[in-house]
Amino acid sequence: MSTDNARERRPVRLLIVDDSNIVRRRIERSQQFDDLQVVGTAANGIEALELARRTDPDLVTMDLTMPQMDGIECITQLVKFKPTVRILVISALADKATAVEAMECGANGFLNKPFSDRQLNEAIAELMA
Amino acid sequence: MQSSGTDRSRRLLTAAAGALLAALMALVLIIGFRLATRIRDNVATLRRASLLQAYPSELSQQLTALRERLGTLEYTGGVQQELSDSVAGVNRDLTALEHRRGLDPTLLGTAEQLWRAYGPVLAPVLAYAGEPYSDTDFGSSLSVSGKMYYTQVRRAELFAQSHAPALHRQLTALTAALQKRTSNAAARLRLLLSAGVLAVLLLGGAAAYLQLARSRGERAAQAAEEQTRDILHTVREGLFLLDADYRIGSVWSQALNHLFGREDFAGLPFEELLRDKVSPATLATAMKYIKLLWGERAHENLIKSINPLGQLEVTLDNGRGGKETRYLQFNFHRVLGAKGVKHVLCTVADITSNVMLTRELHEAQESAHAQLDMMVGMLQSDPLQVGGFLDAAAAGLKHINAILKEPARSHAEFSKKLAGLARELHAIKGEASALNLMSIAQRVHHLEDMVESLKGKSELDGNDFLPLVLKLDELLAHLRAVREMIGRLGALQAPASAPADTLSSPVLRPVGAEELAATLQNLARKLAEDHGKPFTLSLEGLTEVPAQYLGALKDCLIQMLRNAAVHGIEPDTVRRAGSKSATGQVRAQFQRQADGFELVFEDDGAGLSPEALKQAAVRKQLLTAEQAAELDDRAALALIFKPGFSTRTEVSLDAGRGTGMDLVAKAIYGLGGRIGVSTHPGRFTRFKIALPVPRETAVA
Repeated sequence: MSTDNARERRPVRLLIVDDSNIVRRRIERSQQFDDLQVVGTAANGIEALELARRTDPDLVTMDLTMPQMDGIECITQLVKFKPTVRILVISALADKATAVEAMECGANGFLNKPFSDRQLNEAIAELMA
Repeated sequence: MQSSGTDRSRRLLTAAAGALLAALMALVLIIGFRLATRIRDNVATLRRASLLQAYPSELSQQLTALRERLGTLEYTGGVQQELSDSVAGVNRDLTALEHRRGLDPTLLGTAEQLWRAYGPVLAPVLAYAGEPYSDTDFGSSLSVSGKMYYTQVRRAELFAQSHAPALHRQLTALTAALQKRTSNAAARLRLLLSAGVLAVLLLGGAAAYLQLARSRGERAAQAAEEQTRDILHTVREGLFLLDADYRIGSVWSQALNHLFGREDFAGLPFEELLRDKVSPATLATAMKYIKLLWGERAHENLIKSINPLGQLEVTLDNGRGGKETRYLQFNFHRVLGAKGVKHVLCTVADITSNVMLTRELHEAQESAHAQLDMMVGMLQSDPLQVGGFLDAAAAGLKHINAILKEPARSHAEFSKKLAGLARELHAIKGEASALNLMSIAQRVHHLEDMVESLKGKSELDGNDFLPLVLKLDELLAHLRAVREMIGRLGALQAPASAPADTLSSPVLRPVGAEELAATLQNLARKLAEDHGKPFTLSLEGLTEVPAQYLGALKDCLIQMLRNAAVHGIEPDTVRRAGSKSATGQVRAQFQRQADGFELVFEDDGAGLSPEALKQAAVRKQLLTAEQAAELDDRAALALIFKPGFSTRTEVSLDAGRGTGMDLVAKAIYGLGGRIGVSTHPGRFTRFKIALPVPRETAVA
């Protein structure tokens, strides 16, 4: 019985991708879920893909404007390699066309920077459901 | 809609009841028909049998009559014929009865047996053909054969008299049996008909009940439909459904008609609805956005913030023959069916008052900030500089007043007036923002907005300029207030170091090279901060600038610096991605040449794209597409000196009015100089300005 429960409640594995250290820590600190486990943080798309291969995340928060490999490219490859992954784009991008493009590439949701703790947690809850 | 299942079963039930009713009716009719046929046959048989019943006594009577006639020597032929007819009748009727089905065979058999016994005694009577009487002179008497005939008749009479009752009884019993059968059949028919009527009544009742229930269901559906219609008529949002081909469904709310001024929505492609209201790029993004809702990945709630139609500015008829700007908000919701997304529900709301309220709040906040900024700015900047600006601004406003007073009739004259106003206002705004006097810059920006909207009008008259005059008065009052504040601040800052009267009332004086450098550096810092684009400004040789050129060059440098910050230098992320240093470089170098002076102004930003400039010029209708196609790169670059040109679509305080390089070029030409531009995409933009040696007479 207890092992069953444990298996059912495998924590949701979260990967945080943002080129800003401050934003990464902010996301890490403000999520308020017991069954959410941050499995890695990446500062650009290439790092994110490497980490995703190693840590097998269920949920990824993704910045769009990053050096080396931008968010859209990273989303495209991430979805190809793991179609079940849920991706929340967190960006300050004012250009809606790019935001919509990110969704077309396979992201599941969009959160505007700056965001409140409540907004972040609501978005994560929606994606974990 | 929800009761369609029960509705269908109810309809099936009604149909089944109807079919059962028809089958039952057919059955009743067939059985009834057969019963009736049998009854008819029975009645015919009965008639025959009852006729037969009379024959035994008739025969007796006829035989008696025959004997009596023979006794009295009367004519016997007629009676014998009657007797013969009767016998034939009995034979005929009995034979006929034999063919009837269902008669009790023993009854008939006994009757026939009894009748057959008549045969031997009747036969000689019937067969007699002789002359029964012989006539003599003494009268008539029975002949020999007559006597025999008499004896045979007498025998037959006696036989008949003794046998008739038995035969009669037998025939009566036969008739009774037949009667009983007939009345039984009639009773069955009656029963059948009663049962049939009952069944019909029952089924009819059931059908009526079902029909009643159905009509009740229909009434409920009708009421629901009416309510839906009421909702769609009353709701203030435009509501409609989009199908998988992005076409509008057959039902929509009345509000949609008012919002879009049309009624032909059924089947209309969504793209068509917005084609003339939204830029093609936004429309394309919007279509992609809606497509996301048909897909599975995007969460509806989590993509609301990137809805490109969240706040759409449209021009609508105001119902009084004019046009007005409204803001519409489109929202999209998935409508889920058994097999995933069935429709996308689109709601359109007029959020103009919300937008206006937000804007007013924002403006109030901005202006409060600006007041504070101005105080701080004034504390930081040289009161003399601010004073110089105030004098220049006052002069500019005087010029603006003069322009406003110029008489104008034709559209061309009005356009010229507006272009002049725009240039003057732009210059004042540039200086104000260089000095951090944001409250002034904002007011001028507002005036520019008004001028811009007048430019867009097809017909103008003097009354259109009245609001401008009012705003100008406000600006003048504000400038006076600022001047007063400057005076007090000046008095505060240096009460002892200099005589109060000179500082507290700044006078117009030529701008010095150092002041110019400080102004430009201030502006550069502010621009870098406002636009989030770090860059450094290096200035060389400004001390060489002849005093006659200082004022004009200051305007030009401010404008070019703003352009460099807004259009040229890229955001640091872009710069890093393009392997450039994160901090941009802007450089202005003034130097003496053999035949005059040269000013080089360059930035290491994105450079100018001749193609983009051409496209912008076509969009601004400065050129036709054909004309643009013929331009070479050099000519395309020269487009930025054309009045009314700007590559930025969004107007901000710092650039984008389109009078920027126009102003610079005009100023340079005014000094008898030339201006040229060169660029390399992704690397630099460089302006070279050649100026002649100033004429001595220009020095006043």
